[in-house]
Amino acid sequence: MRAVEKLSENILDKLSIDFLRNQVLKNAYGNNDTVIAGMDPRILLLWYLFFGLVPWFVNDLPFLTGCFLLVAITTLLARVAGLVLFLFAIGVFSQTGYLLVVTLLFGGDASAIAPLLVLTLKVATVSLASITIFSGLDPDKLSNGLMWYGCPERLSFSISYAYRILPLLMEEFQNVLLSYRLRGNPPEHESFVGKIKYLIYQIKIIIHAFYPLMLNTAKRSRTTVEVLEIKGYRYAAVNREVKKIKLSSLRVGNNDLLFLAISFLWVAVTVLISTLI
Amino acid sequence: MTTIKRQSATQSQKLMVFVLTMALYGLATLFTELIPKFQVGIVEFSVEYFLFIPLTLAMLFDPMSAALGAATGELVFSEIMLGQFGGLGELEKFITVTIGVYIAGRLVRDPKNRKVVGIAAFSGVVIQQLLGTIVDILKVQFAVEDFEAVAGLPESVFATEGFAFLNDVLFSGILFCLLPTLFLVPKLYGKIEPLLGMQPRTEKTYIGNISWKVIVCSIVAFGVAIAAEFMAESGFALIDWEADWAESSTSFAVGIVIAAVVCVAIVLVMRMRTAKNPIEKGA
Repeated sequence: MRAVEKLSENILDKLSIDFLRNQVLKNAYGNNDTVIAGMDPRILLLWYLFFGLVPWFVNDLPFLTGCFLLVAITTLLARVAGLVLFLFAIGVFSQTGYLLVVTLLFGGDASAIAPLLVLTLKVATVSLASITIFSGLDPDKLSNGLMWYGCPERLSFSISYAYRILPLLMEEFQNVLLSYRLRGNPPEHESFVGKIKYLIYQIKIIIHAFYPLMLNTAKRSRTTVEVLEIKGYRYAAVNREVKKIKLSSLRVGNNDLLFLAISFLWVAVTVLISTLI
Repeated sequence: MTTIKRQSATQSQKLMVFVLTMALYGLATLFTELIPKFQVGIVEFSVEYFLFIPLTLAMLFDPMSAALGAATGELVFSEIMLGQFGGLGELEKFITVTIGVYIAGRLVRDPKNRKVVGIAAFSGVVIQQLLGTIVDILKVQFAVEDFEAVAGLPESVFATEGFAFLNDVLFSGILFCLLPTLFLVPKLYGKIEPLLGMQPRTEKTYIGNISWKVIVCSIVAFGVAIAAEFMAESGFALIDWEADWAESSTSFAVGIVIAAVVCVAIVLVMRMRTAKNPIEKGA
């Protein structure tokens, strides 16, 4: 019992806002020296298009396993933050593991496992591919790559902006939350009823904290937009010349081609294996 | 004179609302990814989302910018940033959130009227969840091969999805959308608008009732969400065809492998060449 208590305490400690902020920052800017981060975003997006879409449509077990192994290797290469991988594991389980339990409950038997295994492999492959791309790449590179493919300027602006504003917002949210806690009087939480009351109290505080946060963010977003306007953002966003200058840093190198070629080889081999079986 | 009558927002003010909603809702969805879910039996108590933030802002400001901002914020902060981008599935979520928030924002004529605010907030959640549930059922039906053949699976999907819908509407809908919106809208009304340099919304400056146009547009948008699924299904046939030839002739697969080997070889040779001439690499 004590061990369980200690464990849950440990997990709760880890899930502080500071930890979250560090993980997100590490994820965004901490791994710029990896193989994946050094590559051209356009090539990687192309690669993602294959591994993000094709597994949904194929039901061949060897092929899916092969794809899964490949994206697992690239995820390792991208050195993704631990939190992201943890969320991935939970996500995969909650999508298919939960379904398995309910299927068994409704009188399904072991025959339900095979299609669910296929589904799990699909989900896992697609999400690992996206983890490789979206957390392996630096946000500016990613948004440039998306822009090259003609994504709306607003999306690439949002990505760059999100990574910059998030640490600030989190810090502010934490400060507001702490000040509410300092002034508040939390209910006793020894008994079960007290625990529920405590939980409700916590949620209430979080919701109340959004009130000052909304006002502050409103001020901040006005400043942001005014600065953008000074720089002529709305006209630059639709101007071709500007886009050309912005994207001139993108270059496809030999490494990118090698990466594509090796992925192609891998997929070809898995197709071969699946025909042989 | 018409500019005074309507709640007019300039382009830059719309951008402000967009940025504001995106940042706040993005932050909130990031937290919901991390707040633990606890289950009692199959009843799942989870803080599904903090939809009250975009709902509140959509009722106070331009609904379209707030709705788009919320959907983008969720996409960028919780999906792309945490590397959980799901490709096709995200389009559906984007569209359903946009529709739900937009309609809720349009319903409110006077933010001081608590009854209308409550009804609008609740209907926003119901719309969003209902659309999401429909697409979810379709998605599972299409992703699992031999859907009908697996014993117990179809019923379980309908049951879990239907249950999740009720659960989300009753639990998250009331606790995390209705009550906070009722608390925040009157409190923020008249205070937050001047920060963006706008007039508060009143009955006179209200942009108009929900017209047929809005409903038709929403249905069309939802059609797009489903069309994405059908488009995927036509992709299904394409890959099936590919799998056909793969099964029919092993030699063809061998051919592909050889082609891939040649590709790797060519790239390696190119690499060695550029390694020899470092000037070319710099160029």
